[in-house]
Amino acid sequence: MRVLTTVIAIAAGALILAGYFFPALADVQTLLLNWAIILAGVVVLVGISNLISVHTDKISRREKGSAYSALLVIGLVATLSFGMILRPHHSTMKIVMNGIIIPAEASLMGVLTISLLYAAIRLLRRRADLMGIIFLSTAALLLLGSATLPLGDIPLIGTLLRPWVTQILALGGARGILIGVALGTLMTGLRVLFGADRPYGGN
Amino acid sequence: MVFSSDLVTGLLSFLFTILIFSYLIGDNPLFRIAVYIFVGVSSGYLAALAWWQVIVPRLIYPLVYGSVLEKAFTAIPLLGAVLILMKISPRLAGLARIAMAFLVGAGAAVIIAGALSGTLLPQIAATINAFDLSAASARNISVVEVVFNGAFILAGTVFTLIYFHFGASTKADGSIRRLKLIEINALVGRIFIGITLGTIFAGVYAAALTALIERISSLINFIGNY
Repeated sequence: MRVLTTVIAIAAGALILAGYFFPALADVQTLLLNWAIILAGVVVLVGISNLISVHTDKISRREKGSAYSALLVIGLVATLSFGMILRPHHSTMKIVMNGIIIPAEASLMGVLTISLLYAAIRLLRRRADLMGIIFLSTAALLLLGSATLPLGDIPLIGTLLRPWVTQILALGGARGILIGVALGTLMTGLRVLFGADRPYGGN
Repeated sequence: MVFSSDLVTGLLSFLFTILIFSYLIGDNPLFRIAVYIFVGVSSGYLAALAWWQVIVPRLIYPLVYGSVLEKAFTAIPLLGAVLILMKISPRLAGLARIAMAFLVGAGAAVIIAGALSGTLLPQIAATINAFDLSAASARNISVVEVVFNGAFILAGTVFTLIYFHFGASTKADGSIRRLKLIEINALVGRIFIGITLGTIFAGVYAAALTALIERISSLINFIGNY
């Protein structure tokens, strides 16, 4: 089994990667990517069935917070049933999307305003070192510089300092972070393709 | 009494906004109710989307209505799907590894290509192009300004990358440390990372503030309209 899974992972990865470089293999690449998309869809369904099973277990064992789990399962099963019968583009599903999902996401994002402010104050109180001060003063400077004031932009901060920090200093740092992340991603992918890492359970 | 879909949507939106905003007075059952329902509804919606937009058009439709060749090609992911479904049973979960290996291999190839063509090469090219004098003169920017800004961008990129260099050697006293030169450069890199993270924080904060204002405005509008 270990050898079989490793061979499948390496062969699938190598063929898909080769498709980017050799146009003759583009059709094979498309076919394999289509299979991967189908399997990813099935994985989503398995993941959601696991979510249902975890919460129904919690309900049957009457654990603390099982009432919340019941609400989760009812919401999930009701939405899934409506979605399967009516399809996701039906007007009822649009009510679910525009009445629950989008407002809940936007409200959680709104609550983040207070959480982030609280986190920033805690950071200043607990770790008032060079990094903390640079981090918070940059954030404060940029928020001040981008604030819409009745008088217009704050001289120097809004017109000169903010663009220079965001477009030059932060850009350099962001580019370094992005290149670092890309190198790490590349290395992780190559380790899987060479069979050094087997996250699918091949040890 | 007939409820219009706008009224139902507005009512649900109002209710969920109030329930989630109740978190501002601390973690409480109302907030948890909203969050658990939100997770359940989102998962159900995601499952319906996965079924109608992935499984049906790419797997079931070709199997039922496709040509013999299409049916043959779709039989393989069908087998993979059956193997993945084995994950539900703890006794047969091991068989799912075959399909998972295929997914991981495909994912690895996609991320390698994505990292190379989507991030690594464009970012390196953009760092080099920051010194492009001909493009700058076309936009009436002075050479000094181009070189000055380009040098800061290049320095930020290089010092940030140096910060992530964790190679170290054992000293005479047995301690493991990085080279002094790397340490100094890494410190400059930390300053650039601090500025970058501060910029990202300001961006996220501005986005969160916009969402908060939009939600408060929707609450006021709903109360005003109904």
